[in-house]
Amino acid sequence: MPTSILGPYTRTIIVGAVIATTLIFAFTNARVEVWFDIQPLFEWMETTWFGVIGKTWGAAFAFVEAIHLLGLAMLGGSVLVGEGRVLGLIFTDIPARTIIDRTHRVFVWALITLLATGIFMACGVAMKIYYLPVYWYKMLALAAGILFHFFIRKPLLVRDLEAINPWLLKAVAISSVMVWFTVAATGRWIGFSG
Amino acid sequence: MNDEKNQDSKLKDDQSAAVLATATFVVFFAVYWFLQIQSVRELLELARG
Repeated sequence: MPTSILGPYTRTIIVGAVIATTLIFAFTNARVEVWFDIQPLFEWMETTWFGVIGKTWGAAFAFVEAIHLLGLAMLGGSVLVGEGRVLGLIFTDIPARTIIDRTHRVFVWALITLLATGIFMACGVAMKIYYLPVYWYKMLALAAGILFHFFIRKPLLVRDLEAINPWLLKAVAISSVMVWFTVAATGRWIGFSG
Repeated sequence: MNDEKNQDSKLKDDQSAAVLATATFVVFFAVYWFLQIQSVRELLELARG
């Protein structure tokens, strides 16, 4: 029985469409056109209060960056613990459901912290990051990580792990670690660039 | 019975979506980091002369 207008494979079709759209966007002129079009947004970001404070008051930028890094540590920890349990590597004496639910709560708070502090920091160095390719890779990885966590991983792991294909579980856990590793690595890379 | 069928169908959909997403991530991750490491190696070779 169809579950929606797209039929029984609604989620799969949406994921396929998102991947296809991203690939078309990446390999056509649309990417460059959008990049040119959003330049005024980045120029404006530097003129906001966040931008002015970030540029002129180094201590404020450093303080917010410290919170950003703590948020990243929290997020990385929640991902490693959650996926480590899904892979059956750590905390095997604690039910997987307990670990998955608790790490998800930490993940959400860490993500909110990262986004809030990240926006402030981006305003302070808006034109620098606008010209950095690695910043755009980080945004791609971040968007992919958020979509993956909330629209793929969470709906899949809401049921008993025994009901899910064990190889797929491993693939989901490894993919999650990979995408958040890329977010962290590219983020650190921004600090070393320019 | 019908509910069980729906649950099974939803599980299949969630699993198919996850296969598609994880395969894309693994391929992208492998290509991206391979190219980055290759680029660093070339720069190091240039620096060494």
